[in-house]
Amino acid sequence: MTTSSGDIPALLQVEGLTKHYGDQIALADVAFSVQSGEVLGLIGPNGAGKTTLLEAIAGIVSANSGHIRWRGTPLTTMQRREFMFYLPDGLRPWDDQYVVRVIAFFADVYGRSDGFASATIHRLGLTPALGKPVAALSKGYARRLMLALALLTPHPLLLMDEPFDGFDLRQTRAIMDVLRDVAAAGRTLVLAIHQLIDAERVCDRFALLADGRLRGIGTLAELRTRTGTTGLEEAFLALT
Amino acid sequence: MRSPDPAVAQHAAFRHLLLKEVWGALGGRALWTMLLILCPLVGYSFFQAVALYGEASLAARDSAALASGLSPLDGVLVPSFGALYLGVTLLFPFVAIRTLGREKETGTLRLLVQLPYRVPTLIAAKMTAIGVVWLMAMVPALSTLAIWEMLGGHLSPPETVNLVFGHLLYGLLVGAIALFAAAVSDGAATAAIVTLAFTIGSWVLDFALAGQPGMLGWIAQLSLTQTLRRFEQGLLSFGLMLGICAAIAGFAALAAVWLHPGVPRQTKLVRSIAGVTLLAAALAIANQMTLSVDLAEDRRNSFPAADEQALAALCEPLIVTVRLAAEDPRYIDLRRNVLAKLERTLPHVTIRLATAGQSVVGSTSDESYGEIEYAYGGRSVKTRSTSHREALPLIYQLAGRSIPTPKPGDDYAGYPLATNGQAALFWFLGALPMLIALAWWWTRRAPRIPAVFTEEQGEMS
Repeated sequence: MTTSSGDIPALLQVEGLTKHYGDQIALADVAFSVQSGEVLGLIGPNGAGKTTLLEAIAGIVSANSGHIRWRGTPLTTMQRREFMFYLPDGLRPWDDQYVVRVIAFFADVYGRSDGFASATIHRLGLTPALGKPVAALSKGYARRLMLALALLTPHPLLLMDEPFDGFDLRQTRAIMDVLRDVAAAGRTLVLAIHQLIDAERVCDRFALLADGRLRGIGTLAELRTRTGTTGLEEAFLALT
Repeated sequence: MRSPDPAVAQHAAFRHLLLKEVWGALGGRALWTMLLILCPLVGYSFFQAVALYGEASLAARDSAALASGLSPLDGVLVPSFGALYLGVTLLFPFVAIRTLGREKETGTLRLLVQLPYRVPTLIAAKMTAIGVVWLMAMVPALSTLAIWEMLGGHLSPPETVNLVFGHLLYGLLVGAIALFAAAVSDGAATAAIVTLAFTIGSWVLDFALAGQPGMLGWIAQLSLTQTLRRFEQGLLSFGLMLGICAAIAGFAALAAVWLHPGVPRQTKLVRSIAGVTLLAAALAIANQMTLSVDLAEDRRNSFPAADEQALAALCEPLIVTVRLAAEDPRYIDLRRNVLAKLERTLPHVTIRLATAGQSVVGSTSDESYGEIEYAYGGRSVKTRSTSHREALPLIYQLAGRSIPTPKPGDDYAGYPLATNGQAALFWFLGALPMLIALAWWWTRRAPRIPAVFTEEQGEMS
């Protein structure tokens, strides 16, 4: 069993996760662990299996084999929603409703105060969109709404699929600041990112994924040392 | 298995989820379109029913016998609610499917299943929202009751409530089937096809298999239309009620089994088989229940009170052997006039169809075809009559009892009313659609944004 240090089990352990779609292998025996409070980047090209991996961890898709452990204890599919929250990519949640209603729903469900909801809205710059239907949001605002929903949840672990997709450089940096603050407040983040430059800026460690297989995991320094390269991009190319 | 650390998000109040589901159901165009279509459909049915009832009432002005045949239940309520039935069968599935289908199509289901609610709770909220929407769909039909009263028409509360209750159960059943279809299908279009296969397939069963003997007859009983028929006759059958409730619960449970995308298909299949087995057992138990209450004001489902009292005193088993094909109109008459009433009244009655498997054409050469034999206390008697006026005296004769004296005031006088419902058309074609359009606009308008959301305060911690 992988542990963070000594006998303390890792916050999340992924063990031998395998997923097939017919003859096609989406995930092949993927195993890694995530420590409390870190930001782990799942790096890989489109089709590498990042989304499938996040959904399999969250229990949104059923894996053919493998286990998910929370501080060493196996979690059933139905238990996972109590410990982690998965934010899908490209979703417009309840698109026929108004943004304020969707946010209020999440805040109510998770018992968040109006003040907390308001702070989340302001931090993500969602105020101008509150009175709009979700279907009418631009890609960037739809992404902010999804991030707001994730931040309104109290889960110690957030799994986010392409959290910076749809943002320009300035907006991406602002959202990175938000996520760093969230991690600093004690929440753990696993981010699936296909832009290596974004990943390098925000993540503490990196799990490199290609063709459904985990090709390497570690901090930037560890990956550099292992591959004898100078950056994440070179390390990724060397390992995949 | 050792329990992990205390989870942070296990439960949440049901009302938040319910509110979301209701807003979701109100948010679609399908509901409002259905309501706008139901207005002229129900309105014109009501107008026509009242006109025909008025004409029949004019003819019955000088004839008590004709007047006694004028029941508002048959003449006005059933035809008016029949339009609602048509709307439910063809349109309501689309509204009900939307409560889940939209979340599946947009991928929002992946958020829904992560909320701190158990899957059965998610389905319960969706079924409740479907119920709310169904109550809204009933508004045009319910308004016919108020208009009928305003026109001076008579309403018998028990039979009216029974009819409304029947439609309520029918709507929930269609809603549960639609929810199940949405849960098993990838898209709303497929779900609609699956649901319409149930609802329109029922019509096929009605036309093709009704009145058929044996297994075909049993299959015909699975028609959804059958669920309404007894309510329309003023009969509250507890077996039928239990059966419909079991079917609603069963389809909702199957929807719950198929809802979560993270459960392997094999597990879903195993759970479905268990669910279907339980549902079949519940339906079999419901089928055995014969308890029913005749709520029709004209007591059409019962013998006259004096006969009921006399028949209830017969303790020995009565065996009725019928030599008629199941599709023979005489058998249908006998079933309605005598056999069904005997089953409701006598504690021990057995009915045998001696011609099971034979058709009318194949049986005409048999001289005994058409005979009905009543056997009681070791004696038997045969007749060809399908009327209770002839059958009951024969049974009393077999039991050695005298024919009871009819109780005074036992006859139904009928409620003739020579009126027309033209004024109602203004309501159904003008005011009601306007109110519906207003309600539609009200649900679509932007909500008030709480001031606290626009003023920066608080901390994200």
